[in-house]
Amino acid sequence: MKNQELVDYLASCGVCRVCQLRYLKARGNEYRDMQQTFQRLDVKVDDSDLKPSEDEPNEQPPKKPRLTICSTCLGLFSEEFQSQLIEGISKSDFGKYDSAGIVLAITLPLTLQLRQLSMWFALQRKFGKSSFNDNSAPDVPIKEAVKLILHPIVCSKLGREYDANGLMINIDVRHSVESEEVDQLTELNRVAFPVKKRTEISRGLLEKQYQPARIKADIFEKYLPIPPAAVEEPLQLQSIDLMGPIVCVAGRYRKLSRELSHTPWVLQGKRIMEESIEEIIAKQVAPHFTDTVCKVTFMSSGREDVDVRCLGKGRPFVLEIMDAKRSSLSRQQARQMEVAVDMSGKVSIHNLQVVPREQLTHIKTGEEQKRKYYRALCVLDEPVTVDILKKLQISESFIIQQKTPIRVLHRRPLHTRPRSIYSVKACVSRENRRLLIIDVVSQAGTYIKELVHGEFGRTTPSISSIIGKPIDILALDVVGIDLDWPADVNNAEIEVE
Amino acid sequence: MPAIEAVGAEEDPFAPYYFQHEEQKICGKVVSPITDWYDPNYPSVVDRFFTRYYYIKGGAPYQVLYHSNRICLICLAPTHPAYAEGIASVSYDVGNMDRSQNVVKGKAKKGGMILQEDTTLALLTTETGTVYKIPSCIRGKLVEVNTALQTDAKQLHQAAEGAGYFAILLPKIENCSDIISNLLTQQQYDEQLKKDET
Repeated sequence: MKNQELVDYLASCGVCRVCQLRYLKARGNEYRDMQQTFQRLDVKVDDSDLKPSEDEPNEQPPKKPRLTICSTCLGLFSEEFQSQLIEGISKSDFGKYDSAGIVLAITLPLTLQLRQLSMWFALQRKFGKSSFNDNSAPDVPIKEAVKLILHPIVCSKLGREYDANGLMINIDVRHSVESEEVDQLTELNRVAFPVKKRTEISRGLLEKQYQPARIKADIFEKYLPIPPAAVEEPLQLQSIDLMGPIVCVAGRYRKLSRELSHTPWVLQGKRIMEESIEEIIAKQVAPHFTDTVCKVTFMSSGREDVDVRCLGKGRPFVLEIMDAKRSSLSRQQARQMEVAVDMSGKVSIHNLQVVPREQLTHIKTGEEQKRKYYRALCVLDEPVTVDILKKLQISESFIIQQKTPIRVLHRRPLHTRPRSIYSVKACVSRENRRLLIIDVVSQAGTYIKELVHGEFGRTTPSISSIIGKPIDILALDVVGIDLDWPADVNNAEIEVE
Repeated sequence: MPAIEAVGAEEDPFAPYYFQHEEQKICGKVVSPITDWYDPNYPSVVDRFFTRYYYIKGGAPYQVLYHSNRICLICLAPTHPAYAEGIASVSYDVGNMDRSQNVVKGKAKKGGMILQEDTTLALLTTETGTVYKIPSCIRGKLVEVNTALQTDAKQLHQAAEGAGYFAILLPKIENCSDIISNLLTQQQYDEQLKKDET
């Protein structure tokens, strides 16, 4: 079979130039200059329809006498459809998004898949199975062609770049023959695959079962024509929906209040506390990126109890902002947010920056390996002795067995977990010898309050069991979290410059 | 430098251990040292999170420490006669069942033994040979037993409040008010003690 024969046959079936190239298995940039590609492939075509129509440049495309509509792409690759698409996107909220990258997600009618199969059968009949076998598709699939052809055109017309994680433009495309042909397909499916009862017709089913290797042309032809029939109308743009990219804003937070929960604290539908760390931060940061505050997720490298302060360098956190309109943050803007959060007097953030989504693994994985640094204010029944203080200078790590604390046991499973304590260092208050200030470095996930008093012997060993005396904890501060992420960016520096 | 060593001998032995607060500013404010949270009237762990209730069986009193999240610790009341007789051993093998074999799975504590208030939880033997059947005191699911008591029952004599718990039980939410009304409050228990004395 010569390329010329193939193209002539396709043309006789009403296949457009772009789809002819698809059946010639043209790649990437070969769709840009189609004339040249045809020449290279040794195909002569009547090139009047390949040249831009210079003689009628100002006329609107819909007013042009419509060319016949391609029977395989139903006009998906036509210039009319492209301009319709660009117009549709421009009319949407597209302008509100600053994302440099975009990605098209087109939902196509099932009939396009059926038409591909029909053409496959037609080509096998015309040129034999030696030219078109049962297992490899005769064309560059439409989905791939959309990426090769439509994507670059739309990107350049809109002045954006292709990015799979960028602004997603969801395009729903319909066609008038769809419902009729799907009805036929339902009948066909009942006959062709009778074992499976009440199978739902889906794209997955089509991709899996509807290949020449699985279904006979004769059966297919009883319900749907080979080659695919001509259509009266082109594809219709049903809707265009935009979904902005997910933007991740990272930083470190510190917490000064002993009456502030991590996330909104709701019990039986009632709020226990008015505010939370998450809300104080999101309130200042999210509006820059989106106008819908509810689509924000707050994550952090662990969390502290309501009554625990978080000092030192603070705890790494990330705000994940869905459907973001803006995707960048200048250091001045970041600094303004940091200052605004400081105004709460309860929470402070710094190192605020937009980070790539891949970096979230720093927060999510290896949680158990991270070291946490704590300072606990503890009280003994009697004044401390030098002997007790000496027992609480531990620089070699040891392992404790910790049962799920009673305070959370009603909602968590009972487990005994081993946890590493890397070091313990106790100091005594100058004013009150019963008061100890104990610095503990521990594996993430250690319950420090229970480590101190031992919780009725449910954590062993404990500070209490090590000294052989009762000891209680009055207050706890997180003073360090062993995670060098996100990077240090001194946003405050900007003001000085 | 012998002179300094001589001074060192009279030095405060706690000198190397004194706490030194490092100053830090957050939100433009100086962070107060953790020692500011010292409260001379700070309540104990039991007082902070639990309510004390009592249950009397066979003339012997038992204590239920009821956590604000409804978890219950079953203990001997401080006036339990076993303390005077001397505690010899504790066993969770109550004859037809060994409660130390209790296993719970998941958040819902599936598989935990269901106990009624009079169900025997454990057996306590005193030095005088008396065997006390420790009752469960409340209706609920057995979550955990204190296996340390099996190997060393005598620790009950020195145990701080709560540390001598026999078991942890989880009552159903809907039963909680009934359960509490069946127990003696601290006040009722104190009154009972006074009556017994007279």
